[in-house]
Amino acid sequence: MQLLAQDLVNGILAGGILAVVALGFSLVWGIMNIINLAHGAFIMLGAYLTYQLFQSFHVDPFLSLPLSFVALFVLGYLIQRFLINWVARAPILTTFLLTFGLSLLLVNIAEIVWTGDRRGITTVYTGVSFTALGVTVPWVKLWTLLVALAITAAMQIWLTRTKTGRAIRATSMDIGAAQLSGVRTPQIYAIVYGLSAGLAGVAGTLIALSYALTPTMGDPFLIKAFVVCVLGGLGSVEGALIGGLVYGIVEAFATQIDFTIGTQHISGSGLQDAIALIVLLIVLIVRPTGIVGKATA
Amino acid sequence: MNHSPSAVQSGTGTVLRRIGLGGITGSPVAFAIALGIMALLLAVPATHNDYFQIVFRNILMYAAMAYGWNVIGGYTGYVSFGQVAFFGLGGYCSAVLSANGVDNLFADVALACVVNMAFAIVIGIPVLRLKGHYFAIATLGIALAITDIVANLDALGGSSGLAVHHVDEAHFYIYYYAMWLVALGSMLGTYAIARSKLGYAFVAIRENEDAAAVLGIGQTRYKVTAWAISGMMAGAAGAVFAPANGFLDPSIAFSVDSNVFPIVMAILGGVGSVAGPFIGSLILTGTNELLQRYFISIHTLFFGAMIVLVVLLLPRGLVWLFGLKGGARAWLKALTAYKA
Repeated sequence: MQLLAQDLVNGILAGGILAVVALGFSLVWGIMNIINLAHGAFIMLGAYLTYQLFQSFHVDPFLSLPLSFVALFVLGYLIQRFLINWVARAPILTTFLLTFGLSLLLVNIAEIVWTGDRRGITTVYTGVSFTALGVTVPWVKLWTLLVALAITAAMQIWLTRTKTGRAIRATSMDIGAAQLSGVRTPQIYAIVYGLSAGLAGVAGTLIALSYALTPTMGDPFLIKAFVVCVLGGLGSVEGALIGGLVYGIVEAFATQIDFTIGTQHISGSGLQDAIALIVLLIVLIVRPTGIVGKATA
Repeated sequence: MNHSPSAVQSGTGTVLRRIGLGGITGSPVAFAIALGIMALLLAVPATHNDYFQIVFRNILMYAAMAYGWNVIGGYTGYVSFGQVAFFGLGGYCSAVLSANGVDNLFADVALACVVNMAFAIVIGIPVLRLKGHYFAIATLGIALAITDIVANLDALGGSSGLAVHHVDEAHFYIYYYAMWLVALGSMLGTYAIARSKLGYAFVAIRENEDAAAVLGIGQTRYKVTAWAISGMMAGAAGAVFAPANGFLDPSIAFSVDSNVFPIVMAILGGVGSVAGPFIGSLILTGTNELLQRYFISIHTLFFGAMIVLVVLLLPRGLVWLFGLKGGARAWLKALTAYKA
């Protein structure tokens, strides 16, 4: 029982980060119909930016959250405006490959700048945790979850209450009608892509607090972001949040699997990608619109 | 590209040629050039240079994998990002045979084809119901999952891998010729399929799946067939690669390079053409090899930049340029076709 409660809490804590990762991914996918394979690279850049600020100027990682957001927003905006926009409406293979190429470029630049060594951020509060009802909760992860929830709420308010937010939602519903109403879609696309990159940067900062940094650290989050989007339902903020939490919990339990058949030892912790795929296939077969998603064409 | 009514009247090949795609097999000139280069490659082992042999064997290997991708991604229009699963499985077929004392390339390739066909059917029936992004990412998931699973299977050596028996250096050319046969088989196989009823069915599914269904092209059967054929091509390449390499572990068998190189090669050469994948492999493997030799630290950087440039400047590949009417102006116009 104690162990189950601990797994549940671990899952929820991990799910908060996944929600922020998936939120940005879901925006680009839902609004631009592009699977952004560079999302993992943006996460990595956000994490290294945080690391560098911490190492060089002793900036607390939580304080570098807005910096990560702004830096990655600008990068994303420029990439969309000058590269992706040329093929924004092309068949999926084109945008898939283009973003994959961008991802390779960014990861390789990071490898040149920061080398492939594993790095980490050790603050005064790293590793400090409290125990409640027999469940251990690291402070960093709790704060990470709270920040993730705040960002998700802020995104939801921004998308529904501001003029730009409404223009974005209009573009995702009917691009033709949005253009007729005076929405400049290339501009909206660039904002959406920038926003998505900014959210990835924030996620990277949060991830840097509890995971090791390598240039390829974003890759596992990419496939998880996809699964979370499918799980929660595409193109909605609450979908990303619920999908993230559900996936976090599923993964926390699945990685505890540990048994032996004959001489073959099977351990869930080595099978994270397989678990993600199984969850993905089950959801796609049982409920293709996701938990909170609506039926789409 | 909604040309289905006229496609019914005058044949898909004719329509594809009229809209500048060079017919169902692509430009015949490009195909002749590809066949000519293929014949020239027979002479490589005569140089007695092991390095050349490995480089050109890699070109042939990636060409076979690019042909495999081309059948499902190019002709049938189902963009698979998991072809490396087939390549790795093929390699592990050889490794398992070798571990059981069987050392015969024909047996390796035959087993790889059978195993991959079975795998393609079992996995393909649920996965090929997905479309577009969902299919692409599900196949990517398959590639990642199978890497995880093999790395955790003691019978396949786990993450530390298996040694695969291979012949002495003096007879190394055996693997070169075997790979040449696999690549040639993939190329001629693609030609034969493209010209047959099967190829027209694949293209019909790519252009308009619903219209294809109305014409009586049973979708699942044809899609699974396309995937099985593409899996056999990649698997045969893997089955020859494993003994030639002498060692196999999950990171070699299921590497990201082997997953993405073939796709970029098929696109650089020309998607849905018979010459494209081979020409793409020749150019990309060649450049990549040179860069790896002289500028090891930036070769991935180059590869990333190459992908970006190919996607933006040559969206339909080099072979397509052979059939392009209207010169530079038509080319520039085509580049802005998908601008938002």
